[in-house]
Amino acid sequence: MDFKYIGKDLQRPDAVNKAVGKSIYLDDVMLPGMLYAAILRPDHAHARILSVDTAKAEVMDGVVKVVTGKGNTIFYGDNIRDLTPMAVDRVRYAGEPVAAVIADSPEHAQAALSGISVEYEPLPVYTDALDAMKKDALLIHQKHEEYWRLPTLTPVAGTNIANHYHLVKGDVERGFEDADVVLEEEFNYPHGSCAALEPHGAIAWFREDKTVEVWSSSICPFIIREDLARVYELPASDVRVHIVDIGGCFGYKSDITVEQTVAYVASFVPGYPVKWVASRKEDFTSTLLGHGIRTRMKIGAKKDGTLTALKTDIYHSTGAYADTGVNVAMASTHNSTGPYEFPNCDFNGYSVYTNTPAVGAFRGYGHQESHFAIERLMDKLARELDMDPFELRDKNYLGEGKVTALGETLWKTNGDIRACVSNVHKAVYEHDVQKEDNDYIYGRGFAAIMKSPKGAPFSSKGCILKFNIDGSVSINMGGAEVGQGLRTVVKQVAAEALKISPDRIRSYTEIDTQFSPWEWQTIGSMFTTQGGRAIIRAAEKAIVKIKDTASRVLRVDADMLEYDGEWVYLKSDPSVRVAVTDVVRGYMHPDGITVGEVVQTTSDARLPRYSGFDPKNGQGSMGVSYTFGAQACEIRIEKKSGKIIVDHFASSFDVGRVINPKQIRGVVVGGVVMGLGASLHEEVTYDENGRIENPHYTKYHIPKLADAPGKQTVEFVETPGEIGPFGARGIGEHPVLGVAPAILNAIYNATGIEFNEIPVTAARMKQALEAKKEAR
Amino acid sequence: MAERYSFTVNGVKRSVQAEPKTPVMDVIRREWGLTGTKHGCDNGTCGACSIVVNGKAVKSCLYTLERIGDGAEIVTVEGLARGTELHPVQQALIDAGAVQCGFCIPGIVMELYALSLTTEDPDDDELKKAVGKHLCRCTGYEAIVDGARLAQKYLKEMRSPA
Repeated sequence: MDFKYIGKDLQRPDAVNKAVGKSIYLDDVMLPGMLYAAILRPDHAHARILSVDTAKAEVMDGVVKVVTGKGNTIFYGDNIRDLTPMAVDRVRYAGEPVAAVIADSPEHAQAALSGISVEYEPLPVYTDALDAMKKDALLIHQKHEEYWRLPTLTPVAGTNIANHYHLVKGDVERGFEDADVVLEEEFNYPHGSCAALEPHGAIAWFREDKTVEVWSSSICPFIIREDLARVYELPASDVRVHIVDIGGCFGYKSDITVEQTVAYVASFVPGYPVKWVASRKEDFTSTLLGHGIRTRMKIGAKKDGTLTALKTDIYHSTGAYADTGVNVAMASTHNSTGPYEFPNCDFNGYSVYTNTPAVGAFRGYGHQESHFAIERLMDKLARELDMDPFELRDKNYLGEGKVTALGETLWKTNGDIRACVSNVHKAVYEHDVQKEDNDYIYGRGFAAIMKSPKGAPFSSKGCILKFNIDGSVSINMGGAEVGQGLRTVVKQVAAEALKISPDRIRSYTEIDTQFSPWEWQTIGSMFTTQGGRAIIRAAEKAIVKIKDTASRVLRVDADMLEYDGEWVYLKSDPSVRVAVTDVVRGYMHPDGITVGEVVQTTSDARLPRYSGFDPKNGQGSMGVSYTFGAQACEIRIEKKSGKIIVDHFASSFDVGRVINPKQIRGVVVGGVVMGLGASLHEEVTYDENGRIENPHYTKYHIPKLADAPGKQTVEFVETPGEIGPFGARGIGEHPVLGVAPAILNAIYNATGIEFNEIPVTAARMKQALEAKKEAR
Repeated sequence: MAERYSFTVNGVKRSVQAEPKTPVMDVIRREWGLTGTKHGCDNGTCGACSIVVNGKAVKSCLYTLERIGDGAEIVTVEGLARGTELHPVQQALIDAGAVQCGFCIPGIVMELYALSLTTEDPDDDELKKAVGKHLCRCTGYEAIVDGARLAQKYLKEMRSPA
């Protein structure tokens, strides 16, 4: 296929405003009469609230109102309504809102927090699912089974298990009986923070006309709108949510989180917009965390490497509220096969209440945690079988005609993993590894990946396409731009579909639920696929309208006409034609009489036949759009310090179609560095009272330039998909998936040391090297 | 006690009445409405709030009014472009594909602008040292370093137009 605008390095439409500092982010929004909130957080991760005294704070400088959770009856959530905007009688994590001050400046609000005194009675603290699941563990939520929840979810009453997802394919016991080799291991992917450069925040404004306006640094404006409307008993149409530019998301600004708290606080001062922006510390302690998944995995294979069975148990320390985490654990569970076919599977996914901030999405959405397990285990299995790890994997890859654990039969158009493997093999494995020298030990590692979205059957993305009088086009959608570059994709896809130069296509900037078409939420690496499809559908409708009016002007049936972006003309005689600009507002005859529709169209796109799951076996059509890929790395370990240096990282994904080469490379390169951070540096740690010990960039080490790989190889395979525009598939999250197993497999390759837990910090590596030396 | 401070901000004389310990960032953002300077952390780790004071890049969340002192010359990210004509550093970061979410970009622009004031032809180590003072969660730094290199080419062209 020949493309004019797809596959080109179009400049991001938002780049200039961002580079000159004129892009508007949440904290840049100033509103008339705006007040500021500061929120009091407990020192305890689990405690009863005995009393709250706000008298002193109420008379402090600039204080307008002090708000507590007394009398609060609001419960909210999209999957399980277990969240509350402000603690009522107990706190369940050490960042929970207990009280708030509304004042005329952020400084006054912050200062007045010292005037609030709270008495607590501490309760036992659990930060790990395995502790919270113990028989004698105190219940973090009494009777949580009584919360409203999606009918597909299964709480375990009398325990801290908020949800148990069970997936069965075939007969796992028989699968293990058929196996010649069975291996079982435990893995841990600890809590991390997305830690975007822009902290989370929101503004809420209960207006005198009984409507509500909200601004948030969120990717879920419509979920926020619908949940606020429900809680405050308003028509959804009277809740208006604005999304301005977002300074990075990576997952934790999805779902409805801080907005309900800010709205609750603002509801006490009707008429005044109230702004709250997280401090960097609060961004760690009081928004969503990610990961926190322990995986127990048992794998069976025949001598020739044929996989026979997989048993996976996922224990997700899902935090104090499970609404945002429950689907992460499910995605982690049903994708724990990695990109391999197992005839027999038995998977359990447990979402377990713990006394940490609620856990939610983190780029990869459960996939990287169980991929870490399966890809470490596949390497180990290859050693047990005395097989080349590439050969073992090659024998078992999913692909056309193969069936996933969910029971989905894959199509050729789901992509070609072997082509991706071949690319990274060439980049990393077709030269010799450097020999150990005085300072360093060298190694290389590999991991293959598969990701599908964790979506919802009703999930859709809308598009409003409007032809302007000069033939330029405005595209309005509900997808949140978080840096991934979807505004560029919108322009390129629309340009290609409408045969108009991207210079004449304007992509929307902010989202406003009052004007934007509905989109469920911008998650799951699905904007290009679903949003792009919606654009193509809207463009097709627009061209039909253009041809329809032209057919009346040219007095010929519409199917005899051709459209080229500028003209509509008779296929058999291009000189019989009318300009597109002459028909987009209807065609005006010389006497002024105008005919034909104004060319503005709407459309939307779902993932075709995406379903829920069968409660009997947990299976269902819950992937639909898959992206496969492979990653490999070359590392060097400094003997003296244990420091792990990634010299070269190679990634290859079958993305179906590259829309913008420069942009897609940027997404992959950035994702690899994010995965590298989790593998080698990042871990949210807790003290014995459940307080986060490292809620700052100084202690929670996100990668700096010096930590980035010396070189990255990025290559794409383009097996066109069925769904996305021009065959394109999702790629936003995928680059993080194989990073940890590839690096840890490389560490084994270099040292023979097995790590089943990340991050492998220099200190841990050094300790392991010393222990190995002593053992010798 | 609030005191009066006068500065030159992006070439314009501006003053402010505020406590000497007030971080310059708060004055820039809230008093003067120059919101291009970003608040990313609270302790000078991320670099998103970098501005140029008397020709040097500083982190405006850490620098107080009394520390930069009355009469200082301040340049913020808003002070670099001339209308629609961008500063070479800004144009280079855009052309290299270094802008994703964009939150770290104003700080990096100011860092590289400050470097251009003191160092005519910085080597790769100097460029990496400058970029290395900033955190970015999106790009993995590759395109930012490319942009920093490209900026040197653009700056050279600006200094001696062909």
